[in-house]
Amino acid sequence: MIGAFPMTVTSVRAPRHGLGVSAAPRKRLSHRKALTIFIGPFLLLYLLFYVIPIGYAIYQSFLTVERVGTFGPATTVFGGFTQYIAVFQASDFWASVLRVLAFGAVQVPVMLGLALLFALLLDSPLLKGKKFFRLAFFAPYAVPGVIAAIMWGFLYSPSLSPFSAVTQNIPFLGADLVLWSIANIVTWVYVGYNMLIIYSALLAIPTEIYEAARIDGASNWAIAWQIKIPLVTPALILTAVFSIIGTLQLLAEPQTLRSFSTAINSTFTPNLAVYTTASVPNYSLAAAFSVVLALSTFVLSFVFLKVTQRRAFA
Amino acid sequence: MQRNLRTVAMAAAVVSALALAGCASATPDTASGGCEPSDGPVDLTFTSWVPGMDQVVALWNEKNPDIQVEFQTGPNGNSGTYQNFFNQIKAGNAPDVGQVEYDALPSFRVQDGLENIAGCGDILAAGDQFVDWTWSQVTFGEDNAVYAIPQDSGPTAMYYRADLFEAAGIPVPTTWAEYADAAAKIKALGSYITNFPKTDVNWFAGMVWQNNGQWFENNGEDWTVDLTSPESLEVADYWQGLLDRGEVSTLASFSDEWNASFNTGQQWTWISAVWGASTIKSGAPDTSGKWAVAQMPQWNAGDDAAGNWGGSSSAVLKGSKHPYEAAQFALWLNTDPDALEMANELGGLYPASKDGANLPVFTAGQEFYGGQKIYDVFAEASAQVIPNFVWGPTMTQTYTDVSDGFGAALGGSGTLADALATGTEKTIAALKAQSIPVAE
Repeated sequence: MIGAFPMTVTSVRAPRHGLGVSAAPRKRLSHRKALTIFIGPFLLLYLLFYVIPIGYAIYQSFLTVERVGTFGPATTVFGGFTQYIAVFQASDFWASVLRVLAFGAVQVPVMLGLALLFALLLDSPLLKGKKFFRLAFFAPYAVPGVIAAIMWGFLYSPSLSPFSAVTQNIPFLGADLVLWSIANIVTWVYVGYNMLIIYSALLAIPTEIYEAARIDGASNWAIAWQIKIPLVTPALILTAVFSIIGTLQLLAEPQTLRSFSTAINSTFTPNLAVYTTASVPNYSLAAAFSVVLALSTFVLSFVFLKVTQRRAFA
Repeated sequence: MQRNLRTVAMAAAVVSALALAGCASATPDTASGGCEPSDGPVDLTFTSWVPGMDQVVALWNEKNPDIQVEFQTGPNGNSGTYQNFFNQIKAGNAPDVGQVEYDALPSFRVQDGLENIAGCGDILAAGDQFVDWTWSQVTFGEDNAVYAIPQDSGPTAMYYRADLFEAAGIPVPTTWAEYADAAAKIKALGSYITNFPKTDVNWFAGMVWQNNGQWFENNGEDWTVDLTSPESLEVADYWQGLLDRGEVSTLASFSDEWNASFNTGQQWTWISAVWGASTIKSGAPDTSGKWAVAQMPQWNAGDDAAGNWGGSSSAVLKGSKHPYEAAQFALWLNTDPDALEMANELGGLYPASKDGANLPVFTAGQEFYGGQKIYDVFAEASAQVIPNFVWGPTMTQTYTDVSDGFGAALGGSGTLADALATGTEKTIAALKAQSIPVAE
């Protein structure tokens, strides 16, 4: 995106400064100016809210506390990889990583499968009331995650739920099911969002392809399976990467459900573990957790892209 | 062009990193620099989660036009306010006065979050006005040190549904053995004797406190951590028994579900602190007039030991620009008769001030409790609270880890006793991570 941008500017300006030798230095100057105006605000916010916090977290993760006696003044000193060693020894943290990976392995395919199904239905000529369904599927995404979790918390709750006949017999908030109860909330919220991305990709497919397919005698089913799905694979991969990142960063739903369920411990998800560690307060260890989590997320997303890239973008 | 941009970004990152490093390596401010009154009007901020505190603050503001206090509310300490305080202390913008429970004072002191207000006017002399054990909590037993003003205490007793016990013909238990007998009978009637609060590890500590146990010891140089003393394990095994037999519920405490179970008569008792009186009142309005309060069950018949659950202080947090005024406000808040009466009426606080406990509001019968003078029971309990219970320096962490273990036990893996053993291990690890000396 950034690479393409200066070219557009140049081509617009070219006719104005078409002649004269002196145009060259002025051209460079205004070019820079335009760049500053367009990139500046982004760069500033990017620095303030992205680069600096990350830099600070990395810096913080290399610190450790020293003190004299019980209540002696604490000083933070450079501790090298002390905190990272602690991270790799923290079995609770790694258990939480495994928990969200299991969560993702089940929830992401289910959610994206549903999103794809809904997108195909919206795109199919058979469905009536498309506008209504598009909005209806998307509406849960407009509900903030915390509100959604509170709402579902009440729905799952054994005695307060309107479906207490069911919830009294199935412990949705118990130790065995609570992870999947959370998966249901996350799916409910994000199916519509992912559906919209896939649906946009479907709309971008040229209709000539369908016409050609029909002339060749393809059914709606064959069009969906052999034309639409292969052509929206890049969108599916995009939503999958978003979902993998979102899964590893799961926080709001389990955190909110803690006031409904005794089965969610303080290290239920990696982000919850970071939150708990920061509230000890042990900022340096929390920062090291965050850095490791960010790197793991990056690696996982990158590996997923690498594995799928050849097929999708060939 | 892309390379240029990257250079700019890199340069900016380096500059910001350097700037941050500069901030962080500044030496901590060790000189407290006396405690003198400020000239001119002063604005203070005060954070507390006690309901109705805003109205007490309004009363102060009315009386003190030159020292205006802005009130901020938040969740219960361990549910978020402490974390906010720690973050704010680190960022240097903590409220001037904050509510801190006694069990959290060591954590705040270890994080250098408390101002020593002993030198702020006549604060040191105010010690006589407070119940002895609360004053020793805020001074850490040191001379010339006052780290907070005691606000309330939480002596524990047993709230029980007098009507249900009578109707069922079950005697009101006075010992833990009788309590277990009653639990079985109540289970047979389809209700629970009480709820086991997995997340309220400070409640569990109160039970250990009643049994004359300790979790921490500090000899001035290093800490000893042992959550698995015989007294502590006796309590754990007792509740494990009730849990195994399904005689106590395991709802998330203070949740809507929990309130509902009190309101619908599912819960017959609650071993709780004096401030719990208003919790039941607001959470279970349909049960008005049906509750009564008795001394909590005893381990040995004929004893009169009580535990303590909660109780807070008003601490002047590090970084306050007006520690003198903040200390005066904190003292007024916790000794002024009008303030104490309002804090009780609206927030259910039972004052740590000796005179406060004799206010008319604490000698009257309570309609919600069938006209019983419940504060007489708590005054008696308060006198029986063992004075020297010691809290650890990373209590939030200890609570979290024990609570996780309790949660696992409720989910069927491990026992409460296992949770205490794990809690000990993890607390020792957490102390070491903070370079706090631990005796092995």
